[in-house]
Amino acid sequence: MRIWVTGIGVVSPLGRGAGVTMDRLLAGDRAFGELSLFDLPDLRTRLAAEVRGLSAAEVAPEGDAEAWSRTDAMSVLAVREALAQAGVAPSLWPIDLIVGGTTAGMYETEDLLAELSRDADAIKPLRAMLTHPLSSTADHVRAAVGPFRRVRSVCSACSSGANALLLGAAWIRAGVSRCVVAGGADGLCRLTYTGFGALSAVDPNPCRPFDKRRAGLNLGEGAAFLVLEPEEASRARGVTRPIAELVGWGVGAEAHHITNPEREGRTAARVMQAALAKARLTPADIDHVNAHGTATPLNDSMEAAAIRACFGPEAERVLVSSVKGQIGHTLGAAGAIEAAVSVMTIARGEVPPTIGLEEVDPACPLAHATRATKADVRAVMSNSFGFGGTDTALVFAAPDVFPAPEAPARRSVVVVSAATIGPLGVLGARENDAYLTPGPAPAPGPIHFQAAEHLDVGRARRLDRAGRLSAVAIQRALRDANLDPLDPSIGVEVGAILGAAFGSVDGSTAFMRRIYEKGVKFASPADFPNLVPSSPVGHASIYLGLRGPVFAVADLGVTAECAVVTAADLIAVGEGEVLAAGSVEEASPMIERCLGPVCSGEARGVRSEGASAILLEAEEHAKARGIRPIAHLPWWTSWRGEGEGALDGAPMPPKRAAILTGQEDLPPGLRLPEVWAAVPHRAVAPRSGVHEGAGGFAMAAALAAIARGELDAALVVGHAPERGYALLLTAERSPDEPGSS
Amino acid sequence: MDPADVRQRLKELMVTELNLEGKEPADIDDAAPLFGAGLGLDSLDALQLAMSVEEKFGVRVPEGDEAKSIFASVNALAEHIVRAKAAA
Repeated sequence: MRIWVTGIGVVSPLGRGAGVTMDRLLAGDRAFGELSLFDLPDLRTRLAAEVRGLSAAEVAPEGDAEAWSRTDAMSVLAVREALAQAGVAPSLWPIDLIVGGTTAGMYETEDLLAELSRDADAIKPLRAMLTHPLSSTADHVRAAVGPFRRVRSVCSACSSGANALLLGAAWIRAGVSRCVVAGGADGLCRLTYTGFGALSAVDPNPCRPFDKRRAGLNLGEGAAFLVLEPEEASRARGVTRPIAELVGWGVGAEAHHITNPEREGRTAARVMQAALAKARLTPADIDHVNAHGTATPLNDSMEAAAIRACFGPEAERVLVSSVKGQIGHTLGAAGAIEAAVSVMTIARGEVPPTIGLEEVDPACPLAHATRATKADVRAVMSNSFGFGGTDTALVFAAPDVFPAPEAPARRSVVVVSAATIGPLGVLGARENDAYLTPGPAPAPGPIHFQAAEHLDVGRARRLDRAGRLSAVAIQRALRDANLDPLDPSIGVEVGAILGAAFGSVDGSTAFMRRIYEKGVKFASPADFPNLVPSSPVGHASIYLGLRGPVFAVADLGVTAECAVVTAADLIAVGEGEVLAAGSVEEASPMIERCLGPVCSGEARGVRSEGASAILLEAEEHAKARGIRPIAHLPWWTSWRGEGEGALDGAPMPPKRAAILTGQEDLPPGLRLPEVWAAVPHRAVAPRSGVHEGAGGFAMAAALAAIARGELDAALVVGHAPERGYALLLTAERSPDEPGSS
Repeated sequence: MDPADVRQRLKELMVTELNLEGKEPADIDDAAPLFGAGLGLDSLDALQLAMSVEEKFGVRVPEGDEAKSIFASVNALAEHIVRAKAAA
């Protein structure tokens, strides 16, 4: 099954449009200029690669621009361009949307957060906060462009855009998507600008990837999206030839350090090799590497070592370049922009240069393309590496050059463990039904949590509270499954997909306040990496040694359900054997009184907090380990809108079944199939408290009830405004396996 | 500035700013290397420590090779602070 790339859209600091961006990259233009978006006293540099003349008002509905971000605007423009080139529209064709990013509307909300936090009594719902959650970009793209079917927001820091494409590829190979538009977007903001400055990672002059005198990165902004389709579906609608094919991908985590890459590039080399293996290509088939190439001293030497380790003697031949010397580091967009450039490199037969590279660092001995080079490019590898050591490589190839890969057989997914940390403490795989038993409501606000009772606080000193709660939940889930990620005999890398609806709100607020009150030079380098939405799961992966796929998702009050469904999607097509999935939500006045009411709606009940981790595994792998799963996951789904008919495909309930939810109510617009309408409904919110991650507690409670033999099946349903997820957990193998998505 | 006082304040700063939970200022050996084998700190800690030293003592810690000798130990860092204060 071939995955066709049939459309590309790019908004970059070099211009609006994929074509103009590529023209100017090949011409060697650099987009760096004086920062105009904001002014802060005492910045060490004001250099940035901005997308000029762009505002949210361009794409927002009339009069609603205050609730839209520049990131939204770049995304909408890039998605429209990609869809137009592919000749598809979400109103006429089932199209799925995946957006990778890190900042969303941070630029529009960071000042407001700092201002509101000065007086706790002044915290109130503000419409402008609609653009703060990571998921707002995808929501706004959907609002502006059309009714995308399945929608996800993913974050793995600077590899977010690449992982959005990877998830899209997984959906297509799973046969659940006929068309996916996937990519990434990130707008410049004060938080990332001062944060990278605090890390001394910024070159005050235009950067020099792979150069001996390189002194750091420059920040840029932008968005890029690719339309991916299975060949058959694309042909069926009349397309005869793609721009290129997405043929391989690899993803893994370093489990090493939150900001510094492994010096020897071991994991980067591993994911590059995995991408080649997935594509069934050898280094001799690749003609170009579009490098991550940030121009920081550590990244470039690590990446050079990884490329040499992966390519061996072919590294002398394969042309390597980085676009970051021209458009800077566009963070969550970078992996997508570079994927778009890789596709255009193949289509045009011309490799873009590394501008800024004058004297190659002896530690980076590669075949560098220092000028645009015409070449017959059969295949390109595009590398992306993020904070927390989240590494992803994608491989694109010219159409029909290589044999079509076979679609993998769909695999059954089981759940082997689950754990939560919440108002009732840390509960393991067989204990979470406590959240279904009658009892007092939790005390409002933060839960009791002494990190030292659960973690080696010396090793966990860099983990903020969200990172610690996440690590505790995943650690307990692993323990109950008798799984040690560091034990090489398990034969696979364990991964984790875990998100938070609003990210590190209080951390971001404190970081910004410090800048305003003390000055830019007192921005905290240690706090900054904890503000990216993938920080909790990244920290947990480092602490626990998780080296499989590691990233965050965000989807308001159904973030935990989104994580579990996404993990199931990946395992079903072989993109991971064991994945922990869930969410972490912290009690915070800013969430409770400002973001929550605006984004999630008014919450009824006591607000609490907590983290959940559901441990999913490929059934064949669990069997090989001799593990008896707690439950099968024969069916799962997600929807946008009211969810009318979304559950129609749910298999018949067995005798002792229940419908379980986090929040007390079932979605008002959801119609239960007749066979499920009489099944009892139970909610965990009265005991777990109300928060955006309550669905994770519902899943854990369902699993414990199944593990104890109290239930034969549970249909877990989660909903938030305009979206929902449902998944069926069964004690016995359902005849309807494998499930749909 | 009294060097012993600076060393004490510095160690208190390290415990809080670098989240050295479970450690007391008195546990930190004034002469031991801060990075690598000694306290096990790394480049991210160095950045955080440099920022907090400037905040609390009003003394800039230079970057690059110069920083290496200053960050050698609590003694060396305290000496840098005392010297910079005396010169100011």
